[in-house]
Amino acid sequence: MSNILEVKNLKISFKTFFGEVEAVRGIDFNVERKKTLAIVGESGCGKSVTANGIMKLLPEPPAFYKDGTIIFDGKSILDKTNKEMEEVRGNEISMIFQDPMTSLNPTMKIGDQIVEGLIKHTNITRDEAKKKAIQMLEFVSVPQPEKRVNQYPHEFSGGMRQRVMIALAMVCRPKLLIADEPTTALDVTVQAQILDLMKDLQNQFDTSIIIITHDLGVVADIADRIAVMYAGQIVEEGTTDKIFYETNHPYTKRLLESIPRLDMDKNKPLSSIDGTPPDLYIPPTGCPFFDRCTEAMVICKDSMPEFTILPGDHKSRCWLNHSMVTEKEES
Amino acid sequence: MDGTKLTKDMFMPATHEQKNMEKIRRPSTKYWADVWRRLKQNKLAMIGLTIIIIAALGTVFGFGINGRQYFEQNYDAINVHPNATYWFGTDDLGRDLFTRTWQGTMYSLIIGFTAAFIDLAIGVIYGGIAGMASRNADALMMRVAEVIYSVPYMLVVILMSVVFSTQGQGTSLLILILAMTITGWVPMAILVRGQVLQLKESEYSMAAGSLGASKGWILRKHILPNTLGPILVNLTLTIPRSIFAEATLGFLGLGLQQPKASLGNLANAGLAGLPVGNFYQIIIPSLFISMIMFAFNVLGDGVRDSLDPRLRK
Amino acid sequence: MEKPLISIRNLKKYFSVKGGTLAAVDNISLDINEGETYGLVGESGCGKSTAGRTIVRIYEPTEGEMFFNGKDVYKLSKNELHSMRRNFQMIFQDPYASLNPRMTVLDIVAEPLDIHNAYKSQKERYDRVIELLELVGLNDEHANRFPHEFSGGQRQRIGIARALALNPKFIVCDEPISALDVSIQAQVINLLKSLQEKLGLTYLFIAHDLSMVRYISDKVAVMYLGHIMERSGTENIFENPLHPYTKALLSAIPIPDPQIQKAKQRILLSGDVPSPINPKEGCRFVERCSYAIDRCHKETPQLLEVVPEHFSACHRTIEIMEAKKRGEEETLITKKKVEKTHNVG
Repeated sequence: MSNILEVKNLKISFKTFFGEVEAVRGIDFNVERKKTLAIVGESGCGKSVTANGIMKLLPEPPAFYKDGTIIFDGKSILDKTNKEMEEVRGNEISMIFQDPMTSLNPTMKIGDQIVEGLIKHTNITRDEAKKKAIQMLEFVSVPQPEKRVNQYPHEFSGGMRQRVMIALAMVCRPKLLIADEPTTALDVTVQAQILDLMKDLQNQFDTSIIIITHDLGVVADIADRIAVMYAGQIVEEGTTDKIFYETNHPYTKRLLESIPRLDMDKNKPLSSIDGTPPDLYIPPTGCPFFDRCTEAMVICKDSMPEFTILPGDHKSRCWLNHSMVTEKEES
Repeated sequence: MDGTKLTKDMFMPATHEQKNMEKIRRPSTKYWADVWRRLKQNKLAMIGLTIIIIAALGTVFGFGINGRQYFEQNYDAINVHPNATYWFGTDDLGRDLFTRTWQGTMYSLIIGFTAAFIDLAIGVIYGGIAGMASRNADALMMRVAEVIYSVPYMLVVILMSVVFSTQGQGTSLLILILAMTITGWVPMAILVRGQVLQLKESEYSMAAGSLGASKGWILRKHILPNTLGPILVNLTLTIPRSIFAEATLGFLGLGLQQPKASLGNLANAGLAGLPVGNFYQIIIPSLFISMIMFAFNVLGDGVRDSLDPRLRK
Repeated sequence: MEKPLISIRNLKKYFSVKGGTLAAVDNISLDINEGETYGLVGESGCGKSTAGRTIVRIYEPTEGEMFFNGKDVYKLSKNELHSMRRNFQMIFQDPYASLNPRMTVLDIVAEPLDIHNAYKSQKERYDRVIELLELVGLNDEHANRFPHEFSGGQRQRIGIARALALNPKFIVCDEPISALDVSIQAQVINLLKSLQEKLGLTYLFIAHDLSMVRYISDKVAVMYLGHIMERSGTENIFENPLHPYTKALLSAIPIPDPQIQKAKQRILLSGDVPSPINPKEGCRFVERCSYAIDRCHKETPQLLEVVPEHFSACHRTIEIMEAKKRGEEETLITKKKVEKTHNVG
């Protein structure tokens, strides 16, 4: 199987006291072996819920899987019990989070945290595990790893902690690494280093990566494919080149335009997307981007468009691709 | 969407009025309403709350119900086991234990609440000032508080009751409460000070400072309202502590003296009834003490859980 | 030459921590003219946020002077300071933390009015708040809601409305967009710019996103570990950066264009920003600088005007500039890039 992960029609909702909030409303995507998929979208679009959903890390209740399948390495994730998932997490699928300060245990030495994962998933002695931990720290470019392996998280800077997180995630050589906003909290120079590191790891260990972010600029270099999410749905998906050079969906276009560039014209207002994403408590019936779309048509308000398959590896969900519009343009 | 015919005019551009960009769809949720709602879902906490309400009501109505006074002695009805006339039985002086128990509950609740609230007032003021003060002033205030707290309150109570006892009346209510609160405010002060220190560094406190707010303003408007949660939890735990403290004192013979009834001195008196088989005389006040303590404790747990932001949805 | 609205001279802010003295802001000076936007950039830990907070006197300075319209703000009495505060305000980075979660939007925006007794009736207070909300793109239906009901961008706008309540002249924007999604950042920047035009505001814009800083600022100062490494007009900094640190920063900015990004040659800054505790003599950047020589370890470089209106704190500035003209910049590099060894364990 060339796909390490296949997600079909995934729907995840949350039960709240005032009703159901549909966080993920039917998404499909695949991740190929040794490749990187970027899931891009604003806060609240459901990308983090998707990531946590794949790892079955969502508290159920209030979350529940309304529909869909998640197939990892040929096996269904949703059918696994919690015990079985514990074998998968940290071992076959790993995750790194946005804020390394809160995802590392402040009362445990770094080395111990890495060793903990190794011992759980493999049959090696504590000493061997410690050696591997030091090796991993060296691999992620933590200087003086023999000394630092005995230090606590607060003794590391933000960028270093993120590296430690990556070391922790990669130590069992997972087949899939999910990175949830890994660089959002970092400075631009450190960001570059971390992204390079992730690429190195992919080459070295044949790991597939899902990188989740709200910043399209960050993924231009690292992603093979990009899926753009909005209000719980994927609105456009394709190879990186297609998304950047043959952008189709108005939302993706606006996202690209709003990325700060060094060469922005000072005399014009910045291109932004007015308004805020819709609340998924009462999800919109039509295209969720309707309220903020400058190219919106009457039909967009009440009807959700289907996917249009575009040339090359590219698809998009927008009424503008409908024959009614494209024919009108041709005439 | 299936079966709907797609007409040309559906593909015309939508007008601005049809869009709605900044609307908030969710119903507004106020913080305390949210907390109350979550508390209501906690069955155990609600049981606790019910018990407390019953106890409070009982103290109001328990007196009048059977018309007997707490000090009425009836030599024809000494040590009567609970029956239809004397629901909780009588003691060795023929006094109706039903009335006396409810009186005891009343005093226990009064003492418990009053002591706890005095502790609260002193603690919040002291802790608030210490938290906002300079490092040195804060350190000094905390050392003073710790020294005060290190004096065993039992000793204080004994000393005060000995010094201030009025002839034959034993320790008055006022002295009792005073003795309990002299040292009892310190834990609340420490809690409040800790919260203040933490919230002082919050960005909204700093923002208020940049707007020109004085320290007092920041404390009143920003810090204390956000401390109410932990204070409330602490309160639900100090009340039973004070009630139990009073019961202990009463049991040891300090505190309220006969003929006034408190749950503590009822238990003490009831002790004498044990060897002669009058179990009810000690079981009933003990049960009351336990139930009240239990009620406050589960309510306190419930309040703490409802305030936990992680459970917020 | 018009007199600058804000004049900061030799500002220092030290904290005493376990292990010594943390020199967060170590002797910075700059001038900001009225109506201008001054950008202050640098990585985390460089002291720019501390500088911003010390400038509005949220922190008391360890040393230095800050002149606002000629008056030294640090020497004002408590009362004078209180009324002076109406002139400068701050917008904070974290829209989730800078608004009191227990207060309604109405109370939050009205707070500066309350503190300074700036209205005569409740109606006046209410009207003013609605006026401010509308200035930032919100409206009266939002006034009675609580911060947690809003998105990050909306909360930041509430913070801006609050900062504008007293009609200040000078606003310190402390990383106002860093915590927002990229698509919302532009919204806030557009708002800040239009407000500046409408109300004649002066900004100190503190950020680590160089593209945004370039867009909005007239002048820029680059900070590193409490020092200003380079400062000049915006275009000078971006078109002709003189300091090695500025150059490295600029090359690290990701370009949202896959083909260009893949082909880009980046100046890799090894390691992280070192600790600002107990700083020694010598250039702060020496551990990570590719051009470092012996002198850089021993002598702290001064911020000198090497080109008119363009200041740089580097011993080799002129040397590198001359070499660049001849295309021989590479020859001055003393540190080679370290090859990573891959251990497959």
